[in-house]
Amino acid sequence: MRVLIIEDEARIAKRLQRMAASFFEQSSVISICDSVQKGLAYVEDHEIDLLLLDLNLNGENGFDILEAMVSESFHTIIVSAYTDKAIMAFAYGVLDFVPKPFDEHRLNQAFKRIKSNSNRTEPLKFLAVKKAGNVKLIPIEDLLYIKGAGIYSELHLRNGNQELHDKSLETLAQLLPTSFERIHKSYLVSLALAEKIIIQPGSKYQLLIKNGELLPIGRAKYKALKHKVI
Amino acid sequence: MTPDIRFKDYPLVYKMGDDPAWAKKEFNDTDWLAERGDTDDHIFWARAKLDLLKKPEGQLGMKIEGFGAFDVYWDGKYIGSNGRVIGENKPELPGSATSYFSVPDSLAQTGSHLVALRASQAHLPQVHRIINVGLSSYESLLRQPLITTAFMNLMAGAFLIAAIYYLFLYINSRVKQATVLIFAIICLLFFSLLILEYIKYYVRIPYTRFFLRLELIGWITFVLAMLVPLYFSIQFKFKWKKTLMALLFVSLVSIYIYYYRHYDTTAIYYSLAMWGFSLVIVFTAVYQKQKGAVIVLIGLLLRVLINQYLFYDFSLFISFCLIVLCMLYLHSIQMKVIEEEYQSSLLLSSKLQLELIKKNIQPHFIKNTLTSLIDWVEESPKEGVAFIQALADEFDIVNNISEQALIPIQQEIALCKKHLSVMQFRKEIHYEWEESGIDENELIPPAVLHTILENGVTHSSPLADGSLKFKLSFSSGVDYKQYTFETFANNRVKIKPRDGGNGFIYIKARLTESYGDQWEFQSNENDQGWISVIKIYTK
Repeated sequence: MRVLIIEDEARIAKRLQRMAASFFEQSSVISICDSVQKGLAYVEDHEIDLLLLDLNLNGENGFDILEAMVSESFHTIIVSAYTDKAIMAFAYGVLDFVPKPFDEHRLNQAFKRIKSNSNRTEPLKFLAVKKAGNVKLIPIEDLLYIKGAGIYSELHLRNGNQELHDKSLETLAQLLPTSFERIHKSYLVSLALAEKIIIQPGSKYQLLIKNGELLPIGRAKYKALKHKVI
Repeated sequence: MTPDIRFKDYPLVYKMGDDPAWAKKEFNDTDWLAERGDTDDHIFWARAKLDLLKKPEGQLGMKIEGFGAFDVYWDGKYIGSNGRVIGENKPELPGSATSYFSVPDSLAQTGSHLVALRASQAHLPQVHRIINVGLSSYESLLRQPLITTAFMNLMAGAFLIAAIYYLFLYINSRVKQATVLIFAIICLLFFSLLILEYIKYYVRIPYTRFFLRLELIGWITFVLAMLVPLYFSIQFKFKWKKTLMALLFVSLVSIYIYYYRHYDTTAIYYSLAMWGFSLVIVFTAVYQKQKGAVIVLIGLLLRVLINQYLFYDFSLFISFCLIVLCMLYLHSIQMKVIEEEYQSSLLLSSKLQLELIKKNIQPHFIKNTLTSLIDWVEESPKEGVAFIQALADEFDIVNNISEQALIPIQQEIALCKKHLSVMQFRKEIHYEWEESGIDENELIPPAVLHTILENGVTHSSPLADGSLKFKLSFSSGVDYKQYTFETFANNRVKIKPRDGGNGFIYIKARLTESYGDQWEFQSNENDQGWISVIKIYTK
């Protein structure tokens, strides 16, 4: 596990480092940056799996870089004193929000989310995607379905457009609300948009969604899905 | 209402000399002169014919306005004296400039009568003042001045109270305002003017002192004519105040010289000048849409109306009264503004107190401190305890200073040092503190240096050798005191330019609270890191 800690309080950064090291144990690489600039530079040059981010760094608002960070492939966990910012952070698509002061137990809970497959209950409102050097926020309501494309994901939108997200389908699934269902190893769909299941000859299942598109349903997923789609 | 009395008067005739026969009604005075002539300290006689056309209900009274001392004869009968006419080896006792006599009923029949005065004017013989003889009911002669005086004294009393009130207000107010003092003086002068004008009705003024009173009235009017426009010009922040006041002064002096010894005329022109200049100021104020200007303008213009309908004496005082009322109104507006300013300063002070207390409980400080603290306690309890102690000390100092507007500099320095020892545990940076030239007797608004220090801690990273130093120096000059706060460190690169934010707002508000606008605050990057300068002017 490659972890980056962006935190300007030396003592707290060390604490996070120590706890992350003990949680992820073997083969974990944990780095610390004490400013926004150093953190951004690090992310550009290094692949990471998890970012632990403080929201107030040397008097600068961490929200300014949050958008950029959540559009990346890795998960972000906020560790901050400003608990009132939690809802907003979740809306942008962070994996968890750990309020300061924290103990090992609470931090480990956050770490465990990386490995669990359960969806979050906190409302995600946007997906941040990188586009032409900028970060664009896409409201969740605009999503039809998400199709996995290797380490990336294709976001298919109601207006017919497609956007590419740096996070994998698995990673996005952990962030999206429970209304999103994995119907196939490559498809993540909002069930609110499901019309009906169409059974094709040869035990081939397809899901008809509101815009008329047919999406494949994985054989293993069919049983669970059958009860959820009326 | 038909007049109580009607009479016709004829011009007076004069003759030098003294003969009891000249008192007689039938005496032929056709060769007498129309002028008194050069009587020096000799006795002279004056005779006047009067036709009483309608007799008053009550007793007939006579009012004589004139200089000198005289015995009065009505149709040859002696009816009274004003002062004592000069005699052999007996000096003249001056009479008053206005005197009243009652005419016995038996003599007050309708028809032609003759008033003869046996007089002397030993003092001021060169003054040729017309002697004026008028008839009235004796009762109204007594009552009319009483009514006038009652009204004028009522007005005077109001101004006296206002003068005293505003004088006390001036003496006892923290911020001494020139307008309050000017207003108090104006009220006092106006009170004096009213008293002096009507004192003639109840204090016997010998004709020798007659001009003294007029002279005094003249000067009071002069000063008032200066002060009223001055008041308006200050109140309405008139741009060309000095020019206007100089012009006014020149005008008033010119009026004084040109109408020298024409007391009533002088007073009228004085008040006209005052009115005109005030009008210029108030017009400008109305144009600039200043508060209360329109009301004052209406007050000033009312004077024209009053002049149209009232006798000069009253109109002067009533229009004066209106002007003073206008000023009173303006003053109440100003008081309201001051009160509001005071309220908001109180509000600001309590806001600043709150701001100070909030420093140590705002999430960024307290939660980061607690997180570090947990870590110290978990990892090395001994240092954890030292950390807790440092934190408690900082809280103690903040508690002690939170309700004050100024604290000893040593207390502020102690706060800074404690803050550094807390931050040392959090940031694991060795902070150095240095000071020079500190005067222990100096005071400073609380947490001002502390705020600069906080900014320094937040926005700096240690130099290559791992050091991060803060230095506070004090210096003073003839008219200023200065704190220089330097940070020797690297400045962190910012995404957005560093503007000081809420910290600087706090510092500036604190400086304003204690020093008004007598301060300067500068904070900027320099070669070694950062430099902040607080300069307080002492004059």
